[in-house]
Amino acid sequence: MENTNKKTLRNDIILIGAIILIALIGFFVFLITRKDGQKVNVLVGGEVVYSFSLEDTVEQQILTGENNQNKNVLVIENGEASIKSATCPDKICVSHRKISKSGETIVCLPNKVVVEIE
Amino acid sequence: MQCAVLSSCKKPQKFTDYSFDYFDTVTTIVGFEKSEEEFNKRCESIKQRLEKYHKLYTIYTRYENLNNLCVVNGTTNAAHQEVKVDKEIIELLEFSKQMYEKTNGKVNVAMGSVLSIWHKYREEGMNDPANASLPEMQDLISAAAHTDIEKLIINREKSTVFLADGEMKLDVGAIAKGYAAEQVADWLEEKGVTGYLLNIGGNVKIVGKRPDGEKWTVGIENPDTENSQEPYIELLSLDSKALVTSGSYQRFYTVNGKNYHHIIDPATLQPSEYLLSVSVLCEDSGMADAFSTALFCMNYEDGKRLISESDGIEAMWILKDGTKLYSENFKKYCK
Repeated sequence: MENTNKKTLRNDIILIGAIILIALIGFFVFLITRKDGQKVNVLVGGEVVYSFSLEDTVEQQILTGENNQNKNVLVIENGEASIKSATCPDKICVSHRKISKSGETIVCLPNKVVVEIE
Repeated sequence: MQCAVLSSCKKPQKFTDYSFDYFDTVTTIVGFEKSEEEFNKRCESIKQRLEKYHKLYTIYTRYENLNNLCVVNGTTNAAHQEVKVDKEIIELLEFSKQMYEKTNGKVNVAMGSVLSIWHKYREEGMNDPANASLPEMQDLISAAAHTDIEKLIINREKSTVFLADGEMKLDVGAIAKGYAAEQVADWLEEKGVTGYLLNIGGNVKIVGKRPDGEKWTVGIENPDTENSQEPYIELLSLDSKALVTSGSYQRFYTVNGKNYHHIIDPATLQPSEYLLSVSVLCEDSGMADAFSTALFCMNYEDGKRLISESDGIEAMWILKDGTKLYSENFKKYCK
């Protein structure tokens, strides 16, 4: 009898431990998903043309304009997205810092390109 | 973009839409709806309105059967005429005159003749950086003789606008985006819509609380992109209000290694050099737009005085050395 009780108690402790652990994991995941994004969407003129995982390593040319004469080069590495080079006159997109948090964007106004973290 | 939960999501989800068709900038619409369909439908009606304001307020393009500000400005070397316009133009220009008074003349929509010179040099300089040059001061001074806002004659009864100085031109760039955002927000609120955020090229206007009970987090970009790793200089937690930031880190061109941005101080006729950026927080998005331009064209002390004389307006200044300064209640909204 006593033995069973001890066993129950031990199992309870394990169970409580597990609940705390799950709760902690849940807490961290919650914090992480609130902050870091998972996907990188590329939109041209408002439409999604590419979608990558933020964990991928990617170098992708984004061609725009009537004859595809405009170019932005998207780079994703180490969980961050940035524009490596572009044909636009102002290069604001190139000088924009790397993005990784959900809701962050890099906009190239002349080429009408949006890189969005989701 | 997408619904976070697959297929039938009952709880409202957050959707985002980007468009490049209005006010020569990017417009972001964020909204909570139960389905992407409903969000798209709402976006279409918002964009219809933005398109209307864009066409009325542009000074660069004429449209068939539409007396917009480009028509009011008239063709080159032609005498101005009294132009019959829609009430949306009358109301914008009346609001602009109020803003002129409230900002002690720092926001002047009658400064088009000066701004058009800078616009021309900036466009040329951006397209051909090797030959970028600066406007002649003499040309700017000559143009500045035709910026008297009293010569903008508005007749509300007849719904007409007349520029009494033949060489005067309007440019509503410092007000129109914020004003349009405010009008669209008012219209949404009348329809009982909540949980939307409009961002027209940095003019952020919040329309009602979010259905998930959270506040909107709005980041103000760090103007120091070279020396600092921090992407945001401040994160604000808002459930209403408008936030507009004026800064020198976008829309500039470079001559002999120096950047010349687009906010021209009426006092010097040159790009304003007092601050790195200034953010304005208040209820009315048109007012936030006007005041951010005005504050960018004066030093911190003068700006602080202006803010203390104005009701319900808060501001955050970033000085050239990176120092952050706040008006009395701005920090209450910081995360």
